[in-house]
Amino acid sequence: MFRLQGSKTLAVDLTGDAVKAKNGSMVAYDGRMAFKKMSGGGEGLRGMVTRRLTGEQMVMMEVKGQGTCYFADRASEINLVSLHSDTLYVEASNLLVTDAGLRTGTSFTGLRGGANGNGLFTTTVEGTGRAAILSDGSAVALRVAPQYPLNVDPGAYIAHQGRLQQHFRSGVNFRTFMGEGSGESFQIRFEGDGLVYVQPSERNTLGGDV
Amino acid sequence: MPFREINSKMVEAVVSPGRKMYSQRGAMLAYRGDVSFTPNIQGGQGGLGSMIGRRVADEAAPLMTVEGSGTVMFGHGGHHIQVIDLAGDTLCVEADRLLAFDGTLQQGTLFLGSQGGVMGMVRGQVTGQGLFTTTLKGHGAVAVMAHGGVIELPITPGRPVHVDPQAYVAHHGDVANKLSTALGWRDMVGRGSGEAFQLELSGNGAVYVQASEEKL
Repeated sequence: MFRLQGSKTLAVDLTGDAVKAKNGSMVAYDGRMAFKKMSGGGEGLRGMVTRRLTGEQMVMMEVKGQGTCYFADRASEINLVSLHSDTLYVEASNLLVTDAGLRTGTSFTGLRGGANGNGLFTTTVEGTGRAAILSDGSAVALRVAPQYPLNVDPGAYIAHQGRLQQHFRSGVNFRTFMGEGSGESFQIRFEGDGLVYVQPSERNTLGGDV
Repeated sequence: MPFREINSKMVEAVVSPGRKMYSQRGAMLAYRGDVSFTPNIQGGQGGLGSMIGRRVADEAAPLMTVEGSGTVMFGHGGHHIQVIDLAGDTLCVEADRLLAFDGTLQQGTLFLGSQGGVMGMVRGQVTGQGLFTTTLKGHGAVAVMAHGGVIELPITPGRPVHVDPQAYVAHHGDVANKLSTALGWRDMVGRGSGEAFQLELSGNGAVYVQASEEKL
């Protein structure tokens, strides 16, 4: 049902069903479509309050109808993710479209959020279905296995799924304080079993400067 | 086919004597052979009348004439380039999106009010197109710029296409467009889905849509 048209436009075929999409991301459609903003990301009153409190704002709309709807956002690359009763952790600003059947929520990320400039909370997408996430440049999905942990630059991290534990690592030493840091003083270390999505571009982060 | 796509952001065109082209001023990247670039004060074809028309319509993109014999490469601002071939039909595009086009094409300006009267003018204002748009007519090729990649959506009778005005790039063929609103009470209280205005294109032709909602 989700098709990529090029790498930057997503086509979704709808037959009376619905998808959740980032507010204002529709670029074109044919057939009949109705767009409705979902207050609080469609998570009810509790979700709405949580999002307000955590600052993990997500403005989504429900798109329902018959035909094909095209989505794109600021010429960002789009990546499709399949979920099989699985949880995807992604920044709200990187989430483009999800199946209506997937549940969204917020979760605490710990110290990592502070360093990658995303805040202390992240958005979770849970259930079985497909989601489309945005990246600056085409993203790579890196597999993490129990014997192969992965270290990621916080500014290049966009999402992860599976059973992963994350630790925050810092390589701060006296050189960093002398202003001779390598720019790679902070990393996120993923351990367990799952996939990590990394983009070929780094956001401006607190950790990236040192 | 005078344009050859080198990559998604550069095109190469062949000019020969008697076969000139128009391009946006400053969009030449490199050339081979004996080619001259003449700034075109009139901003395109036609005489003084069309020049004044374009000035009044604020569709006076600075153009230059490319003549001689050789090959010229065009690109601008790292924008994606889409080459559109016209076979006798009319392409409607904003002047600032035009990168280069064949000298054989006829350039003109279209008053949006002439398509749907007052609603046409309202549409121009809402979409940020202004009250006028540029038309190109005839046989030849046009290179237009867009932010992000471009997709082409066919329009067939009975199957209209709705486009976000900010993502609209150009359209060609026998197409009528009107602004459709889906304004509801939600938009009035600031809880809109951000998709309150759409361009509805119906008829026979194609519309080009960019993968971004940013203007050039």
